[in-house]
Amino acid sequence: MSDPSRAVAAAFPARLLAFSGRRQGLGVNIALALALSIVCAAILIALAGRSPLAGFLAILDGAFGSAHQIGAALNRSTPYLLSGVGVAICLRAGIINLGAEGQIALGGAGAAAAALAIPNAPPVVAIVVALAAGALAGAAWSGVAAAIHLGRRVHEVLVTILLNFIALLLVQQLLAGWLGQVGAGFLQSPLMPRGAWLPKMPDFDAHIGILIAVVAALGAWFLIWRTPFGFGLRVAGASRLAAAYAGFSRSQLTWGAMALAGALAGLAGGVEVLGIHRRLIEGFSLGFGFKAVTVALLGATEPLAIIPAALFIGFLETGSLAMQRQIGVPTALVTVIEGLTMIFVLVAMAARRK
Amino acid sequence: MPPLLEMLGIVRTFGAVRANDNINLTVQSGEILGLLGENGSGKSTLMKVLYGMLPPDSGDIRFRDAPLDAKSPFDAIKAGIAMIHQHFMLVEAMTVTENILLGWPGGGQVLKHKQMAEHIRQASRRFGLDLDPDARISALSLGRRQRVEILKAILRDAELLILDEPTSNLAPTEVRELLDIMRRLRSEGKGIVFISHKLPEVLDVCDRVVVLRAGKLAGEAAVASISREQLAEMMVGRNVPMPRVTEGEHRRGALRLSVRGLSATGLSAITFDLRGGEILGIAGVDGNGQLELAEALAGLRPVTDGIVLIGDHDATQASVTARVEMGLAYLPADRSHTALVKAMTVFDNLMLRDSRRPPYGTRALLTPKTGVARARDLMAQYDIRAPGVDFVVGQLSGGNQQKVVIARELSRAPTAVVAHQATWGLDPGATRFVLDQMIALRQQGAAIVYISSELEEILSISDRIAVMAGGAIAGVTPNRNVDLRQIGLWMSGRHA
Ligand SMILES: Nc1ncnc2c1ncn2[C@@H]1O[C@H](COP(=O)(O)OP(=O)(O)OP(=O)(O)O)[C@@H](O)[C@H]1O
Ligand SMILES: [Mg+2]
Repeated sequence: MSDPSRAVAAAFPARLLAFSGRRQGLGVNIALALALSIVCAAILIALAGRSPLAGFLAILDGAFGSAHQIGAALNRSTPYLLSGVGVAICLRAGIINLGAEGQIALGGAGAAAAALAIPNAPPVVAIVVALAAGALAGAAWSGVAAAIHLGRRVHEVLVTILLNFIALLLVQQLLAGWLGQVGAGFLQSPLMPRGAWLPKMPDFDAHIGILIAVVAALGAWFLIWRTPFGFGLRVAGASRLAAAYAGFSRSQLTWGAMALAGALAGLAGGVEVLGIHRRLIEGFSLGFGFKAVTVALLGATEPLAIIPAALFIGFLETGSLAMQRQIGVPTALVTVIEGLTMIFVLVAMAARRK
Repeated sequence: MPPLLEMLGIVRTFGAVRANDNINLTVQSGEILGLLGENGSGKSTLMKVLYGMLPPDSGDIRFRDAPLDAKSPFDAIKAGIAMIHQHFMLVEAMTVTENILLGWPGGGQVLKHKQMAEHIRQASRRFGLDLDPDARISALSLGRRQRVEILKAILRDAELLILDEPTSNLAPTEVRELLDIMRRLRSEGKGIVFISHKLPEVLDVCDRVVVLRAGKLAGEAAVASISREQLAEMMVGRNVPMPRVTEGEHRRGALRLSVRGLSATGLSAITFDLRGGEILGIAGVDGNGQLELAEALAGLRPVTDGIVLIGDHDATQASVTARVEMGLAYLPADRSHTALVKAMTVFDNLMLRDSRRPPYGTRALLTPKTGVARARDLMAQYDIRAPGVDFVVGQLSGGNQQKVVIARELSRAPTAVVAHQATWGLDPGATRFVLDQMIALRQQGAAIVYISSELEEILSISDRIAVMAGGAIAGVTPNRNVDLRQIGLWMSGRHA
């Protein structure tokens, strides 16, 4: 699969949609996609017996209504951005890495374990060490995937998906064992030492994770566009034969891309644990892996475009949850609206690339 | 009787480029029309307009006496037009029959597998396609795969077939068979548009030729009334003769490339020595180990036995990059997927194998400023006609694509060169450019392995000629009073 969004274009009957005109700008397409998803959402909300207008107001209010809401939305976008950038790095080389979920889970565990191991460290040290441990754990896990994929020639999709299950069970085991909090009703770790909590940004309810994530996206941009390694990734994604001819070793590219993706996902896990939950909780990464892929595709595997893509999903989710609370539409409906919006936007992007 | 196809005043521009500038074209039923012109003259564009792949800026098309406004290939197919692409749209893991059934029009009424296999058998017999309905695509040669595409067209009752450079990847026997198939199609009343740069084929099979030059109609003639020289002149405005290398014009240099008993899958015990200033032409029917030899020399194919020396270095186990650094340049035959990344820019493709070296970069970083400056220089020096270094290579004409490869590989001042089918798909002028580049390199003291299935080119530039058959070298001769009969014998695998 050389161009992921072209695969999307093939998967969805883009041409059937009225807005897939031949020479419109990307902006027009996306605006139309958003309009179409608003219409669909309105119909769905109305079918659920609620007022669409009230629903939309609730979404907007939930996403942008207060500094607290904006902060929550930024927090929500953070792991999507980090792990999405990692998935995009892999996609650039034509590697479909669906393992973000497991890498996030182990990253969280790594960060938690490190933070708990040095309870008296000064704040900056504690945070840096814990996040580094998270990144390392994530990279180690994606390294396992790379090793199996390269060593045994198993398709990366299969390997990364299956390793997700193992990672989740591993975290469960850790929480049932030495990382767990004795006497708690659920599988969770003890609270992180205060020094390891991610600080909040002034005036916002957001922790500094979003800043880390934006810096990571900028770094990924630099890697892809300004280094021979990134050039190798782009060449390999377009043609494996050309990459071999150009002297880029497939295994080196795969190791590199997978390790980076794992590290970014692990970092995302660490940020979640240190910034939001302040402890390791079973299943905290559920669903993140696929969001990472969605965000990477929404951003057309371009790190700078993944920033708005991740924010879009983060704000949409935060707003939708508020709508669910305020006007009481079912959770499933919220998921459907989210999904529809993403599909429309992806199709709009794919249609333009034809 | 009105013509089968009538294109009137077709205009299609790409930005400032007028790829088709007011072109008229007619094709009769039962006629093979040769569409000729230099690389970039607009042949493919015209056919893509006809096939609904590109909307024209203006112009009218009439097909079977009715206006045709194909918005997509789907419309064109429905109207009775079929285009055989160079890259076949076949599913390799499926059989011929399954591939034909895929996307069979008329969705609802599904044809039975058995019934279709029978249709295929009949059509195959009638048109001399020699296709087994149950054969898997992956087991078929390129020529056979092409016939599956032709079969698809026949079974969908296409009245007009467009063949855009169908012979450039075929072995000579397969070319002859394709021309025969075309003649049968003609005798059944089909119209055919045949695009090719190989004038002998064109003169052999076409009834009439139309020549484009820089997007404009440059001439039209009945084949019976025109010679090869006249045709070449119509295409480029002059006749382009082959260059000629005369042996002993200059002194031989040091040993540059030494190959001893080189073996790999499909390659057995190749041995030769090549000095600076020498061109070794490797002739042979395509598919007799040429690709294997080229790849083994370039470091892209694992070697099972033997030694390769580049200059003084033992390169037998060296990586691709190490060989480049030892001074080896490689022009692969597969331009679309190996030599170039079509979706990337001219700049990216010029730096393809050099991104870790100045001026394009260092081991860790790219240096776009100096890299782009170099790319601009190369574009000027090698006369690459593109709007800029950021232009996507896949949109360049075939000749300019190959110039990108040549600029990249030869500007490194290599001491040894492996060139494989370096003139595939190139017009006579561009072919001449490539041959002249090889000769210039020889003059500068490089050792060149020139692998080609075009014997005429080999005879024109080689100092020595080796012939490959069955993965081995069947014979070697100096390029002096060459016995063509002997070469033919070697090619057919019979050692004299
Ligand atoms: N999609 C495109 N975008 C921009 N320019 C294009 C595109 N396709 C073709 N061109 C330009 O239009 C001109 C005609 O190209 P075309 O492919 O029709 O030539 P051709 O006669 O088929 O050449 P060749 O013999 O090399 O196949 C060229 O200058 C080419 O660069
Ligand atoms: Mg063409």
